[in-house]
Amino acid sequence: MLPNMTFLGHRAHVGHYVSGAAHVGLIGWLLIGPLFEVEPLPFDVTSVTTISEAEYAALVGAATPPGSESETATPDSAPVIAEAPAEPVAPPTVEDPAPAVPTPEPPAPEPSPAPVETAPAPLAPEALPETPPPLPAPVSPPEVSPPAEPAPPAAEDVEIALPEVSPRPRPRPAPRVAPEPVAPPEPDVQIAEESQEAVVPDESETTAPPQEEQDATAQEEATSEIVTEADEAPSGAPERTIRPRSRPSNLAAAAPATPQTPAAPPAAQPADTTTPATPAPTARETTADAVNDALAEALGGTTTSAAPAGPPLTAGEREDLRVAVQQCWVVDVGSVASRVTVVVGMKMEETGRVVTSSLRMVSATGGDDAAARVAFDAARRAILRCQKDGFDLPQEKYDQWRDIEMTFNPENVGR
Amino acid sequence: MLYRMREMLCAVLAALALTLTATAQAAPLRIEITEGVVEPLPFAVPGFIAENSGAAEWGAKLAQVVADDLIGTGLFDQINEEAFISRPTSFATPVQYADWKAINAQALIMGAVTVSGDGQLTVKFRVYDVFSDSELGRGLQFQGTTDGWRRMAHKVADAVYSRITGETGYFDSRVVFVSETGPKNERKKRLGIMDYDGANVQYLTDSSSIVLAPRFSPTGDRVLYTSYATGFPRIHVLDVGDTRSRILETQSDKMSFAPRFAPNGVTAVYSLSEGSNTDIFTMDLASGQSSRLTNTPAIETAPSYSPDGGRIVFESDRSGSQQLYIMSANGGEAQRISFGQGRYGTPVWSPRGDLIAFTKQHKGRFHIGVMRTDGSEERLLTASFLDEGPTWAPNGRVIMFTRETQGASGQSNLYSVDVSGRNLKRVRTPGAASDPSWGPLQ
Repeated sequence: MLPNMTFLGHRAHVGHYVSGAAHVGLIGWLLIGPLFEVEPLPFDVTSVTTISEAEYAALVGAATPPGSESETATPDSAPVIAEAPAEPVAPPTVEDPAPAVPTPEPPAPEPSPAPVETAPAPLAPEALPETPPPLPAPVSPPEVSPPAEPAPPAAEDVEIALPEVSPRPRPRPAPRVAPEPVAPPEPDVQIAEESQEAVVPDESETTAPPQEEQDATAQEEATSEIVTEADEAPSGAPERTIRPRSRPSNLAAAAPATPQTPAAPPAAQPADTTTPATPAPTARETTADAVNDALAEALGGTTTSAAPAGPPLTAGEREDLRVAVQQCWVVDVGSVASRVTVVVGMKMEETGRVVTSSLRMVSATGGDDAAARVAFDAARRAILRCQKDGFDLPQEKYDQWRDIEMTFNPENVGR
Repeated sequence: MLYRMREMLCAVLAALALTLTATAQAAPLRIEITEGVVEPLPFAVPGFIAENSGAAEWGAKLAQVVADDLIGTGLFDQINEEAFISRPTSFATPVQYADWKAINAQALIMGAVTVSGDGQLTVKFRVYDVFSDSELGRGLQFQGTTDGWRRMAHKVADAVYSRITGETGYFDSRVVFVSETGPKNERKKRLGIMDYDGANVQYLTDSSSIVLAPRFSPTGDRVLYTSYATGFPRIHVLDVGDTRSRILETQSDKMSFAPRFAPNGVTAVYSLSEGSNTDIFTMDLASGQSSRLTNTPAIETAPSYSPDGGRIVFESDRSGSQQLYIMSANGGEAQRISFGQGRYGTPVWSPRGDLIAFTKQHKGRFHIGVMRTDGSEERLLTASFLDEGPTWAPNGRVIMFTRETQGASGQSNLYSVDVSGRNLKRVRTPGAASDPSWGPLQ
């Protein structure tokens, strides 16, 4: 027994030691634990949306100067094709055709029939005293340059991009298929296999046989066939968000200037019901806000631009434009250029006319530079010739066709 | 740590979203045009403005030749002068683009001509892309004697053609051919030379002996041809400038024929027949040294160099039927490239190097056709009782050949056709003609 009691007493001491150590550790952790907290809690939570849509729109409107959108959103302003200089108003420029004029051939001999070639002599500069001094040799065709890389946007003028479609498709129950279509039942009617009228006991009617009381029921809504989205007629609702304006560089600074600023400043505003309130902003939080703002704008689907937006062009409208151009596209099927597929970019006026100076070669494949230039010229002529007073495009959808890229693929033309 | 991970995740997601949506923003409306029209391009060429009294008679003539050249390609269509809304009165007059757009003139050619007291003709011109409101290239001027006015007009047309199509022209070029007179059973043949359009015909030989298959040198200064002047077919080389000719030093007891210059102009390739065997040889024209390229019991003839001079295409019946083969310019093993039905002959390598023109006989009819150098994409461009002997325009765009009509009264004429198979037309010659060889652009 003694050994056992001693053992028990020893075990009781051990328990005291363990308990004491645990308490000391707990107290110590409570006292000095925060000293080892590296990550400040305030940064753990970031606001997803710090301002409202209206506020942001107001901020953008205040921060974006008129016209800045088109200036920053047009990466294609760099001219690609070197246009020939406009000459009509200038005095006639006569070039020295020395490289192009054939060298004189020896005169034909007198005896026997022989070819008589009167070769043009080289141009004498003094032969044209009324013209300017001879110009250099005939220029080669305008060089085709690859399209210039769009200039990177300024750091303070980064546009807020929006997804093309809403990232949150709303779940929709699949239609119920039945041999006979059934209209949607009344909302307060029970769903049953058979439809039946509601029966309410009429206390005043005593002659009729008593009917058993029952609730009204109806069959569940059903359709006779499944119609997928692909088979549905287009609703006409916009499927893409419009192009948003540039985001102001200093959102915090611009916020107080807007009249729609909410009562609470963005930094102190509870960002979301799912996130705890954030403490006072810090430098790191500002960075986090910017990131979260961009994320919110991109994923939240909020449209902040005040620019007029329209639905995308229908297939018919696109087809009309295609047909309008192709009927003026003359293809020389025997030429090297007829193997070149060229992409032509252009800007459009709201009237449907092409901004002639904006016509540029975006890319060309299937031939050398000379062939690409000829292919581009033919495409340009087709566009300019058939536009007449402007292509028939829906003006309310101008945003959709403000910039156009047309691919001219002659692969199957005339073959 | 948790914070950092979340921040990084947010940043990545935001960057991804921004990238995707920025791409979507920048995407313009994209349309693909896959159908077009194949029709002549309308152009206007007012009569060239006479800048002095002596030039009055030349303005309209020059403009007409330029127009004829362009129309003859089948790629251009001239707008009648009666439709003009405005008429330029001076070469320096600004172009009224709207007036030319209104009549659908896609190209406008403005020219002026001056004749000096000593008979020097000066022609200058500009080409305008009407619907682009701009000039194509820059002004150009030629000067020569009045006797060479057609050639200057051809040069203007070449420049216009080049600026619009991007290809070199072929109007200022000549063709050597065999001029034929007399009935079929007693036909007289002599070598003739003319402008590509049949103008300015001159004769290089008389009709005392039969001549066959003339071939221009790469520079157009000499002609190789086969003559029966010795009673035996022998190859001659003729200097175009003085019309003197000499016999090439081939083996005198054997028939030599089907000569053709190499692109370097210093060597020639030809066929030599011995009994029933015909092989292909090459000769250094300066030294007269020949070397054999083929050595088979078959008939191998009609050799033609590739533009780079590295290969030779020829016809051979070594497989039992007449087909086309390609071998190295130094000889060696040949590769057959024609596998269609019928017989293939007289192959000619395109100046562009991408096609080979040939004569094909199939089911009693003759065709002029083209195929890729590997034998693919064979296309027959013509069909008649007898079409043969294709020759390429210097830009590789047009093929001229001989077409002979059927019957006792049938005769040979020269025809040309676009490489696309369009614009088949007869070349104007004073009489019957055959065996054309298109010379270089001058």
